[in-house]
Amino acid sequence: MAKRDLIIRIGGEGGEGVISSGDFIAAACARAGLDVYTFKTFPAEIKGGYAMYQVRASAERVYNQGDTFDVLCVFNGEAFEVNKSQMRPGTAVVYDYPGGDFEPGELPPGVFGYPIPMTQAAKDMKSIRSKNMVALGALSVLFNIHESTLVGALTKKFGKKGKEVLDFNLQGFAKGKELAAKLTKQDPWRLADVQDPKDIIVIAGNDAVGLGAVMGGLEFFSAYPITPATEIAKYVATHLPKRGNHLIQAEDEIASISQVIGASYAGLKSMTATSGPGLALMSEMLGMASMSETPVMVVDVQRGGPSTGLPTKHEQSDLFLAIHGAHGDAPRVVLSVEDVHDCVDMTIEALNLAEEYQCPVILLSDGSLAFSTQTIPAPKPASYTIVNRRRWDGQGTYKRYEFTPDHISPMADPGTPNAMHIATGLEHGETGAPNWRPENHWAMHEKRFNKLNRIVDTYRPTEIDGSGDADVGVITWGSTIGVVREAVQRLRAEGLKVKGFYPKLMWPMPVQQYEAFAATCKKILVPEVNYQGQLAHFIRAETSIKPIRFNICGGLPFTPAMIVAKVKELI
Amino acid sequence: MSTAALHQVEMKPKEYKSEVSVVWCPGCGHHGILNAIYRALSELGIDPTKMMSISGIGCSSRTPYFIKSYKMHTLHGRAGAVATGAQIARPDLVVMVTGGDGDGFSIGGGHMPHMARKNVDMTYVLYDNGIYGLTKGQYSPTSRPELKAYTTPYGGPDTPMDPLLYMLTYGATYVAQAFAGKPKVCADLIKGAIEHRGFSYVNIFSQCTSFNHIDTVEYYRDLVEEVPTGHDVTDLGAAMALARRPNGKAPMGLLYQDKRPTLVDRLQEIVTKVGGHPDYDLNKIIDLSRP
Ligand SMILES: Cc1ncc(C[n+]2csc(CCOP(=O)(O)OP(=O)(O)O)c2C)c(N)n1
Repeated sequence: MAKRDLIIRIGGEGGEGVISSGDFIAAACARAGLDVYTFKTFPAEIKGGYAMYQVRASAERVYNQGDTFDVLCVFNGEAFEVNKSQMRPGTAVVYDYPGGDFEPGELPPGVFGYPIPMTQAAKDMKSIRSKNMVALGALSVLFNIHESTLVGALTKKFGKKGKEVLDFNLQGFAKGKELAAKLTKQDPWRLADVQDPKDIIVIAGNDAVGLGAVMGGLEFFSAYPITPATEIAKYVATHLPKRGNHLIQAEDEIASISQVIGASYAGLKSMTATSGPGLALMSEMLGMASMSETPVMVVDVQRGGPSTGLPTKHEQSDLFLAIHGAHGDAPRVVLSVEDVHDCVDMTIEALNLAEEYQCPVILLSDGSLAFSTQTIPAPKPASYTIVNRRRWDGQGTYKRYEFTPDHISPMADPGTPNAMHIATGLEHGETGAPNWRPENHWAMHEKRFNKLNRIVDTYRPTEIDGSGDADVGVITWGSTIGVVREAVQRLRAEGLKVKGFYPKLMWPMPVQQYEAFAATCKKILVPEVNYQGQLAHFIRAETSIKPIRFNICGGLPFTPAMIVAKVKELI
Repeated sequence: MSTAALHQVEMKPKEYKSEVSVVWCPGCGHHGILNAIYRALSELGIDPTKMMSISGIGCSSRTPYFIKSYKMHTLHGRAGAVATGAQIARPDLVVMVTGGDGDGFSIGGGHMPHMARKNVDMTYVLYDNGIYGLTKGQYSPTSRPELKAYTTPYGGPDTPMDPLLYMLTYGATYVAQAFAGKPKVCADLIKGAIEHRGFSYVNIFSQCTSFNHIDTVEYYRDLVEEVPTGHDVTDLGAAMALARRPNGKAPMGLLYQDKRPTLVDRLQEIVTKVGGHPDYDLNKIIDLSRP
């Protein structure tokens, strides 16, 4: 199959402009009307260490970071060494030479090398900070990264800082172009040509969650910093006050979720965002939200665990915690996002569900999506439905936990006449007064659990990728979905019978939909980036399906090639 | 407290009693504190629908059940953090937290500094009985080492803390102390705490007749001594000096009061600075992410 996309990876020392170069290429591709999916890894340290930014761009939809890079641009010897084993025949490598900190020696067989004296050129310009501009100029010439859109992106960024700064950077860019023009192009890689402009934005997963929150009518956010979730708070802190609402930073995650419960009880649509360690701390209070039927929304941007684990690395290992993390029987809703587009839409959806069902809703994202910038259609605020909690209509006698046909009892904001009530973590009767009679505890459990049954039927049906019977059905969740989509397409292009099943509503589980899908597949494969096979565990527990687990946990996402190979093994 | 919430209704103290009957042991100091709260609410004419009474877990944390108001009975140690969120949501309402020394300074000790320094506009009444009452008599952060209790059969290994010194250091803007056996003093200090705009802390010694056999009514009556006339409540140093109990006496009365913008004042300043309002065009925010 002809390759329609281009994957460029930039590697170097953190702080050398790796990230900003990647951002410029991504912005240029987006301006050119291409679909963009970026992938980054950061060192856990503040300064220095190996940083990597990969841009995948295509005239068609891209669903993941790809198998490996076509073009590698390295700013130093470490980045060269780290990536050497992934170079294949045909890979193009642009490297800092002569004058850089290394000599590449002989390149692996079939690899095309393009030495560009980036450091030297920057030194000649008397500013080492223009090194990445030199690299950008060279990449532009060598791989058809459209000069017009790239210069547009540079102008947008540096124009704000004054003409001098802009000119200086453009000079570096021109120098890179000049150096590359002297080389002979040998490899086949070139970026797709400029397409018709599209109404898109380019945004990272964490910012997209923040945007969804602001669009979703969020009224209060309590934050506690943690990698890889902190950017959500930064975005919300910047934009929520524009809507007249507040974000505060709490002393810890227990305080964050406590403040969220307090604000929600007092009438505000409220949320917090964290990663696994924070969600673990919140579990007692999530039980209280479940018991007191208080709407709360928590985003968990998962990272490698347990404990401090791999703070900056990708993993999907908080599903157990999200679904069952609290003592007692504490129902909640758990959703997971596939990509950056979902980060906007499903944040709104999660806020809506919390309000509608008066319970905790946990939205799972993950470390690779957190920082992945992607092109997504510019959201249209008017096209979203915003749900607010059912409020008491003032008729009759108010009972906070009144038994109703759909098990949802209207709330009343403090200050409402004739509706004084208590929100309590103690088991209670309809009025909220403590009540430990056995039949009451039982009836209240049924109320809290049964109110969620309706979600399974009303939530949009789980997407099924493919039709008819299949030899292998792949069930997966979170950002692994994007990887499986491409793998399934490739396998089908080879004539293999493969389908995908992509749940976003993780809990309660749409069991019948899982069963119906599995009935059309000879084998069910469940790839997940965790050690235990957490979704596979729930499938085993809740359905009659006997899934085949496929787990990796090296801090990186799957690639489509890994899924393709595994499926072929099974057929 | 925003003055708009004051003098809304005319209700007698007993009219603030809810329909739930009080569950504390006879002779427990908590009864006196509850009565003082009723009295303060009555004297201030607080409309019960305009009040949020919030607690954690403990005997003292049962208080909201007994008061007519909107209320939350939350988790052990978390009342203050919950109340912070509730107060930001409804700065127009009276927010009161009630709880024990274990709830506030042991499990909830991490939250205390932050409510105080943020100057969350609420009243925190701490029922200080030097013991864990609800769990039947373990030693607490304010227990004296002499106390032979459930888990300290030979006496306690820890040095007790003084809540007042902490709250003064943390930046509370109203700090007072009383003894449950002096209901009028308690009511006046709670009243002042509610009227105060900012974070008010009232520490009230409360005898636990069931489990703390050394901090008796007699002990507390001897321990407390009224804040000397002429004490300058704006002088933090003088307040600290009193809290350190010169001549062994615990000060009773208002030790410290300061005017400082509240958390909501500060948050509102940010909204004003960015020109925030509920109809702010979302497209302007979305457009910032165009390439
Ligand atoms: C997380 C958690 N740990 C422990 C408990 C048990 N517990 C309930 S009340 C309490 C201490 C109560 O003492 P205090 O707060 O001083 O209030 P008092 O009962 O003396 O008024 C404890 C340890 C709990 N409810 N939750």
